Amino acid sequence: MNWRHVNLIYMRELTDQLRDRRTVFTITVLPLLLYPLIGMLMMQVAQFNKRQAANVRIVGLDNWPSELPLLDKRNKPILHPGMIDVSEWMNFESQPWPTIDGEFSWEQMLTAARTDIASDKIDAVLFVEPGFEQELRSRLTVAAAGTTGSGSAILNDADSAGITPLSTQESVVEHVGVKPSSDGLQVIANLARDNSRIAQERIGVLLDSWRAAWVSSQLASAGMSPRLIEPFTVDATDTATESVKSAVLWTKILPMVMLVWALTGAFYPAIDLCAGEKERGTLETLLSSPARRAEIVWGKLFTVITFSVSSAVLNLLSMHFTASFVVRKLLLSGIPDLAETLGPLPIQAVGWLLLLLLPMAAFFSALALAIAALARSTKEGQYYLMPLLLVTLPLVSLPMLPSMSLNLGTSLIPVTGTVFLIRSLIEGRYFEAFIYLPTVVLVTACCCGLSIRWAIKQFESETVMFRESERWNLKLLLHHLWRDREDTASTASALLAGAIILVSIFFAQLAAGSFVSGWSGIASSTFIVQVLLILTPCLLMSVYLTRSPRRALRIHRVQFSHVIAALGLGVAVHPTYSALGYAIQQLYEIGPETQQLLAKFQHMVGSQPLWAVLMILAALPALCEELAFRGFIFGGLLRSGGALRAIVVTSLLFGFAHPVLQQSIAAALMGLFLGLIAWRTGGVICTIVVHLINNTLSVSMAWMAMNHFEPPAALSWAVYSQDSSWTYTPTWSTLSVLLALTLTFILMRRDTQTQRTVQAEMA
Amino acid sequence: MVEVTELTKTYQDLKAGQFVALDRVSFHVAPGEIFGLLGPNGAGKTTALRILSTVLKPTSGSARVAGFDVNHHPNEVRHSIGFVSNNTAMYERMTAWEFVEYFGKLYGIEAEQLERRMHNIFSDLQMLDIRDVVGAKMSTGMKQKVSIARAIIHDPPVLVFDEPSLGLDVLVARALLKIIGQLRDAGKCIIFSTHIMREVERLCDRVAILYHGRILATGTLAELADRYHETDFEELFFTALAESDQQQVQLNGSLGHSHERDSFSPTTSECL
Repeated sequence: MNWRHVNLIYMRELTDQLRDRRTVFTITVLPLLLYPLIGMLMMQVAQFNKRQAANVRIVGLDNWPSELPLLDKRNKPILHPGMIDVSEWMNFESQPWPTIDGEFSWEQMLTAARTDIASDKIDAVLFVEPGFEQELRSRLTVAAAGTTGSGSAILNDADSAGITPLSTQESVVEHVGVKPSSDGLQVIANLARDNSRIAQERIGVLLDSWRAAWVSSQLASAGMSPRLIEPFTVDATDTATESVKSAVLWTKILPMVMLVWALTGAFYPAIDLCAGEKERGTLETLLSSPARRAEIVWGKLFTVITFSVSSAVLNLLSMHFTASFVVRKLLLSGIPDLAETLGPLPIQAVGWLLLLLLPMAAFFSALALAIAALARSTKEGQYYLMPLLLVTLPLVSLPMLPSMSLNLGTSLIPVTGTVFLIRSLIEGRYFEAFIYLPTVVLVTACCCGLSIRWAIKQFESETVMFRESERWNLKLLLHHLWRDREDTASTASALLAGAIILVSIFFAQLAAGSFVSGWSGIASSTFIVQVLLILTPCLLMSVYLTRSPRRALRIHRVQFSHVIAALGLGVAVHPTYSALGYAIQQLYEIGPETQQLLAKFQHMVGSQPLWAVLMILAALPALCEELAFRGFIFGGLLRSGGALRAIVVTSLLFGFAHPVLQQSIAAALMGLFLGLIAWRTGGVICTIVVHLINNTLSVSMAWMAMNHFEPPAALSWAVYSQDSSWTYTPTWSTLSVLLALTLTFILMRRDTQTQRTVQAEMA
Repeated sequence: MVEVTELTKTYQDLKAGQFVALDRVSFHVAPGEIFGLLGPNGAGKTTALRILSTVLKPTSGSARVAGFDVNHHPNEVRHSIGFVSNNTAMYERMTAWEFVEYFGKLYGIEAEQLERRMHNIFSDLQMLDIRDVVGAKMSTGMKQKVSIARAIIHDPPVLVFDEPSLGLDVLVARALLKIIGQLRDAGKCIIFSTHIMREVERLCDRVAILYHGRILATGTLAELADRYHETDFEELFFTALAESDQQQVQLNGSLGHSHERDSFSPTTSECL
């Protein structure tokens, strides 16, 4: 690697991008202008909202109880003890209760109200019917006459006086056949109009407030303490420091906003630097220069990272400053709650966020570069942004879920783990952050490394760099698939097989639900999943899409030493696998429903003959899963030197093919190990052996324990019975690790023929 | 200086299946010689030259440039070759001077020497007036000159021109051919691909006619004229192509393949 070349390419690409007005505008000018403009708009809207006091007409104010009047003579609300001051939010006009020749006409009143609301003269009308005060008092009488005279009766009645009529009101349109309310209060509003809706809400606030004052005064006049309706209050003490409190909302929002900007900030320059260059014909100029492909990728990658970081930082700062400014204004306008949660971000939090940004920007940039390299044109490149966002967004937004926190599990999830770690750092939980730092760093480093490696591979691939549009139709494709089939599966058909397996298992699970009807149900569902859903697609594809189904399924001759070692390894690795399963269950507790199901399942299995259980649950999965995952799919992914790709992807597919999360994690980790064996031994036989023995041990140990067998005395050094299950002794558990390592070492050594087989597969 | 032996390049094509872009192509070029690679569009000229510039890897066969194998020493090959093609465009947001300087630096030329060489090249190619013009504002002829300057900045012993006069007007094309002639006179080993007969007649010392990925004939113009009994080079070229087509039809006929051969598709696998 010549870093001088990398630097030269980086400086050129950077200058080139900076000379592009669109890029500069999108990356720098837009965020600097965007947030202040949004802030300005919000301020305007807030001011508009504040200044717009609701105009409310009260018809029949003379019907209001005179001992606790609502408005004074100038139509200003009267502030009784405990009431909220609404004078700034509401303007009132009052009308006496109309009587036409002693007759009261609802139709006329409604028509007048509707017309005035429609013409914006008023926003809502509150009718106080003549019976309102009487209704209130009659309920007091009922309450007082009650034998217990309890406060709750008064409360309920008082409650209905204010709330019921309000809550039954709909928009004016639905009021044609309205009748006088039972409790004497009625609001007319047009809920389709914001002003009218706000007016109705404010009337509600005013009436609630008045109701509390009314209840207090009635209690006082009945000789009871007004505190009766609020028997106790709770004093709360907040232990969060001011700086953390002010950052609390920011720590949830900002990482997400920042990472989304880091991704989009990376994507557009990446498209320009790859697909754009292909389109303009300058990529070949660079490829024919002395710079190696890896140097070109690194140079371009640093450029993309620069734009990703700048875009995220500028957006972050612009958004934060604008929000802080708006918040200060809001604080002055009297909305302190919002102001507190959106307070200024402490400077160390900014530092931690920037620390989060660097690895994430590198990861996103490498991903974007690799994907952009696939595209033939910038237009095609744009299409790839959405799938990338769809994959990344859940990872970025997962930490916003309230129930999620940093633990070993979440620290293993790419992106999410990093966001959690940074949040812990911002909130000052350094010890927690320190514990999970190694896993997060390891996962992030792996992701960055893999995505950079992928980007370099893309640049080294002739088919990717010199891909040209060609005529495409289904007939041509099918003809091509049959005519040009090779000995083993292509990478695309391997991935297709994996996708078919996962999707069909998913739908089969949905169709079957969680109901398992006895042993025959278990046996038939296992058979369907293993043979029909996992093995059959691979078998069919190996017959129709390859020239040699045997080679496509990787049924090759294997070294005798490898088979012997695999036999031993199956036994030796089982204690570690059991321990791994246990550890995973400690980490992610199995839900009670799943636990019940598993217990039922175990019970059903325990009552069957061992040979049948072993055939269905040990041998069948070992054979089908290995032929599919470490056979057909592995072979396809192994091509063009993709050993790492084959191991990682098949282990993920293998993991996802298991229904229970805890099983999936264990299977995925085991899949990595089986993948390594499948690669080194050049076939599927050894992994079938390891898988079979591992399954056999798991199933038979559980079966023995279920049927209350004791471990044979000859094996007492390795296995003992505890809490009605068979467990490995610590001695054997330790020794087995050493033995497994030794046997793995043997499996790693290939003879000439195996070497040739693998080389042919990887060509 | 350039030795190409049995060079073959195949790749997958949805329609044709295994597409043979180059079929066992062999030729050699000496220093101070212009070797013309003549062929219609799709004959495999660009593929051959891309392999020589190490942008593509051959499926089989070998190619050596200035003693270095393209497969095993691609970096040394890239240092020994200057590649001008329609696919090696110039950056639109860079001036001519910056563009040539950038590649000079990539070739690892010392700053002082680079400055000197750039002055010489810019004045030799009469490019001083466009040194500060950005790519986007240049005409095709200007861009082609800048590409040549870029290709010779590191003074490579071998120069490859892939249809350099494509899209140029007569005046500029004439000037370009003159420059290529001067480079030959300076001792460079030049491979020049084209489908324009006049250019071949004017410029090339030796010629290879490439058709459907195969070389039909190689030699000096006089040797080819003798072989095909034709002095007019354009006629000669068509005769060579027609002969090849006829042979192909006969071959297909003998294999029971009645319809015309689909261009570039392999025959044997489909005849069963």
